[in-house]
Amino acid sequence: MPATVKGKLTIDGCELDITNPDKLLWPEDGITKLVYLQRLGELAPYLIKHCRGRYLTTIRYPNGIDGKSFYQKNCPQPQPPFVQLAEQSGIHYVHLDSLPTLLWLGNLAALEFHASFDRINEPLVPTEWVLDLDPSQDEEPRIMEAAMRVGDVLHSLGIRSIPKTSGATGVQITVPLQRDLSFDELRHIGLFIGEYLTSTYPDLFTIERLKKNRGKLIYVDYLQHYQGKTLSAPYTPRARPGAPVSTPLTWDEVRRSPHPTEFNLLTIGKRLSQMGDLMEQTEPQQLRPILEFISKR
Amino acid sequence: MHTVWKGAISFGLVHVPVKMFSATEDKDISMRMIHKVCGTPIAYVRQCKTCEVDVEWADIAKGYEYEKGRFVLFEKEELDQLGSDGSKTIKIVDFVDLHEIDPIYFQKTYYLSPDQAGGNAYNLLLEAMKQSGRIGIAQISIRSKSSLAAIRVMDNCLAMETIFYPDEVRPISQVPGLPEKVDVNEKELSMAAMLIDQLSTPFEPDQYQDDYRVRLMDMINKKIAGEEVHVAPEQQRTNVVDLMAALQASLEAVNTDTTEKPAKTKAPAKKKPARKKAE
Repeated sequence: MPATVKGKLTIDGCELDITNPDKLLWPEDGITKLVYLQRLGELAPYLIKHCRGRYLTTIRYPNGIDGKSFYQKNCPQPQPPFVQLAEQSGIHYVHLDSLPTLLWLGNLAALEFHASFDRINEPLVPTEWVLDLDPSQDEEPRIMEAAMRVGDVLHSLGIRSIPKTSGATGVQITVPLQRDLSFDELRHIGLFIGEYLTSTYPDLFTIERLKKNRGKLIYVDYLQHYQGKTLSAPYTPRARPGAPVSTPLTWDEVRRSPHPTEFNLLTIGKRLSQMGDLMEQTEPQQLRPILEFISKR
Repeated sequence: MHTVWKGAISFGLVHVPVKMFSATEDKDISMRMIHKVCGTPIAYVRQCKTCEVDVEWADIAKGYEYEKGRFVLFEKEELDQLGSDGSKTIKIVDFVDLHEIDPIYFQKTYYLSPDQAGGNAYNLLLEAMKQSGRIGIAQISIRSKSSLAAIRVMDNCLAMETIFYPDEVRPISQVPGLPEKVDVNEKELSMAAMLIDQLSTPFEPDQYQDDYRVRLMDMINKKIAGEEVHVAPEQQRTNVVDLMAALQASLEAVNTDTTEKPAKTKAPAKKKPARKKAE
């Protein structure tokens, strides 16, 4: 087939143009746009669930992951009639709430989906809390060990959490929340946990903000979780070799220290059909007593 | 030397791309502030008293206090837009004689070198100014601030002095205690004139040095040699570990009667119920 083939797709009564289905988006992995759209279809129920109600930033790679990329916050034009918008500070974000919208973005070579922590309707009320573990080295064999340490500390405080690969090199620890804490209050707890981790495992963790001063330590980023900031959404693909997908894991999986690329566009469908959405399997946690305790110090 | 600014000189229709370098540097010996009690360098924190948080740069705007406690806020972009029409130029508007500008106007000196293919235009401007013996008065905008400058020739280099706007120079009439009419003793005057004569010499800047700096550097070296050295103590972090232990113990005490899921334990009943889950 020539590379300029166009096709029309009708999904849920919405008509969608598909352009260049044979364009290689992950060339090394042989993933064409057509394959990508098929895989997005598998991811759709999960990815959409975690982007719905949030402001979406996508990263587009019109010529595949080795080509130029750009961040897209404002809705691309022309905007199809089925695409909903959400406005914040003069930016008209796409509201990713349906399969047609997801596939439309996929056809525009949006390969990464980053969702805001703040909700469209309740911007000041975080519904989860995230600690982002960000390695300073491209290959960090200790990242899963580090995640385990964080999980253990939270567990010792009676907090249940879900580890998820960022899809790149990091791991993010998510705690679903009862909606009674502010972003600032969560930073208090984050600083406390971060200080505890760095003093207990000084060879593993740092809370140093300047990258150049972090050495080989893993950065406990408790500051990223804030209104106006975004995080790679659960189940977003990443524009990296191996087509990794940001994937929630069980703590047992973390214990066997898997490589983040084990969870990728080609394997994710089967995993999801077996395990469902791990993000949904932990009930909202109560963190206020902890905040009150550490605030008294 | 590293480039502090890139742009262009424009005069008439001529456009000269240039790079700018600081011509002078402050050699003051800088010292840090140390807590005498323990020898730790003082940290500066940007703190908000209301939110009781350390404030990140991203959360900081600039505010103009138009009356006590009342501000109008500006984002960086707004100020940048004001700065100029966005053009990065040194626009020469007039040529004057150097001696027409009183030294009080001079602020800071920069060297300008030709950038990219600007060599020819640069040489032309340099030579023309050399021959006319005049200096250019220019309007410049650097980092969202506009100011006035004088462009002159130093050997084979164009130099730029930023100069104060007239309303930034305070009038002499505001200086207290100045004599209204000069009335001096003739004899004293001739003696003073003689003294000036004796001390008159050509200006040779090399013969002056910063004695204070030399003495201070001496003293620093003596202190290092005599091991009179204070080392900042390692940050003590035991408190956070203690706090964690205390917190764990207190949670354990609350949870002794429950199994496995401590997080679900009801906190003391004062809390409002969690809102219904959306979606």
